Amino acid sequence: MSHGREILRTEGLWKQYGAITAVAGMDLMVFDGEVFSFLGPNGSGKSTTVGMVLGLVRPTRGHAFVFGSDMATHPWPALRRIGAVIETPAFYPYLSGYDNLRALAIALGGIPNTRIDEMLELVGLRDRGRDPYKTYSLGMKQRLGIASTLLRDPELIILDEPTNGLDPAGTREVRELIPELARQGRAVFLCSHLLHEVQAVSDRVAIVKRGRMVAQGTVQELLGRGEFLRLRASDNDALSRALGGIPWVTGVERIDGFVRAAAPVAKAADLNMALAQLGVYVAELSPWEVELESVFLELTGEELHA
Amino acid sequence: MNMQRLMAVEFFKLRKRMMTWVVALLLVGLVILLYSVLWNISGRVAFFGDHHRGAPRFTGEDLRRALFLQGAVPFSLAIVTTFGTLLAVILAAGAIGSEYAWGTVRLMATASSGRLRMMAARMIVVALLVAAGTLLAVAVAVTYSTIITVVSGGADFSFITAGWAKEQLFAYGRTLFVMAPYVALAFAAATVGRSTLAGVGTGMGAAFLEPLVSNLMRLGGNPWKSIPNYLINSNAQVITLQNVVPEPLPRFGPTAADLAGQGVHSPAAAAVILALYVVAFIAIAFVVYRRRDIAAGGGG
Repeated sequence: MSHGREILRTEGLWKQYGAITAVAGMDLMVFDGEVFSFLGPNGSGKSTTVGMVLGLVRPTRGHAFVFGSDMATHPWPALRRIGAVIETPAFYPYLSGYDNLRALAIALGGIPNTRIDEMLELVGLRDRGRDPYKTYSLGMKQRLGIASTLLRDPELIILDEPTNGLDPAGTREVRELIPELARQGRAVFLCSHLLHEVQAVSDRVAIVKRGRMVAQGTVQELLGRGEFLRLRASDNDALSRALGGIPWVTGVERIDGFVRAAAPVAKAADLNMALAQLGVYVAELSPWEVELESVFLELTGEELHA
Repeated sequence: MNMQRLMAVEFFKLRKRMMTWVVALLLVGLVILLYSVLWNISGRVAFFGDHHRGAPRFTGEDLRRALFLQGAVPFSLAIVTTFGTLLAVILAAGAIGSEYAWGTVRLMATASSGRLRMMAARMIVVALLVAAGTLLAVAVAVTYSTIITVVSGGADFSFITAGWAKEQLFAYGRTLFVMAPYVALAFAAATVGRSTLAGVGTGMGAAFLEPLVSNLMRLGGNPWKSIPNYLINSNAQVITLQNVVPEPLPRFGPTAADLAGQGVHSPAAAAVILALYVVAFIAIAFVVYRRRDIAAGGGG
């Protein structure tokens, strides 16, 4: 995959809280025009990493650079170009949605009120924009959070569980919005526990466990970590034995009445021919569809929790 | 320019917040209430004070005259010094503590052009609102007093001279100055404790408990008895005593004779001590806020 301009880079990012290592030597790179997803179980160091990327948390060691600025020492030029919602959106409860965006716009400077109206329209809050934030449902709060990230027309968007609390229609809208933002040339840094969501919208994925990176690559690369073929024959024992004798089949496993062979999907026809030559005729041969979830489970040994 | 923007945000947030208006309303209500009560009792009671014990003694007519316009500014400032300080503590602590409670400290930290600037903007706006609130209390007192003066037929405004106006201005400045350490303390405590309660508790605790502890220390003899002279309260009283309160209006706190007996500092020295407290509290707030991680979940 060809990469665009580098937007974010972390080098050996490390955060220690006393005896607890929250993040241990995190190396990340995010480029413009891509959706980069950051996956990990609860307490794996995702939010701490994002905090360091935004200059909110000071690294014990290492550096986070965004648009070339070291976020620990000189974050302000970069922050103007970042829109972020970390964990649950946080706004002033006594202010309306509109006034919350207005406060943000005043702080950022140079944002006209018409832009606020546009953002409220974009996230479907125009009709409730004048109501106090404290009366909003979780889904509406999420929508306002997304509006606040887009308010400054950012080049890097950090979204932490953006569909949390949204109804199915809202979830679909956000899922469509994320790749659209990337198509506009922005970099999207997405933290999510919804693996099918991540799989659908991401270009590249990083998986973390206990503060350490355990895998990073394109979705296809991760899904293809040892490509698999799914086979079935009238005699699966004979099939397994035959597969074991083919040198470029690196693994054979019996799963739910099928035989899973670790072999390139592109060589499915060659495999079929080789088996036929060995006197084994398969009744079914297809790529073994790997879900990101199973890759995640394999790498972390843990399930994600909402 | 950045600083102006940040101050505009802080002003916008506090202007839209109910608490700001409740605090202002309480202050105005307090001034009106005290004026009404004193006006009422001035017409009902002939003499005040226990002359058998040698306490100050004045007539209802004296009190009524004292409520006239001439005494409106110092009297309202005396009210502000006592009760307004507590309201200012609530305002200051709420301005920073609520940001932690709501998690908006992260929102603003990523939207502003520097943590210290954001903190400074917040402090300046709180200080301006406290100054405006004090002015409001004075304005209400002056208005009420003018009505009383005219209704009572005592409309003699010859006392309004340049010297009188200058003294009122100084009194206003002194009042704000003695409130500053408590406001700064509340701000620092709310920052360190990451909550409004920490700021309000510390600020009010200092305002209420310090006189009590000081009295105990003075009873304790050497070396304890000299310590209160370096605390906020006794130095604030030295400054406040410079405000001329027309007799026989009640003065909140000890008299000049009381303070003289305690060996307090000169007004200049007291001002320096109070200024040092303000600087120290502000420095603590800045250092803590600058160095601290603003973690997820609204904490930090």
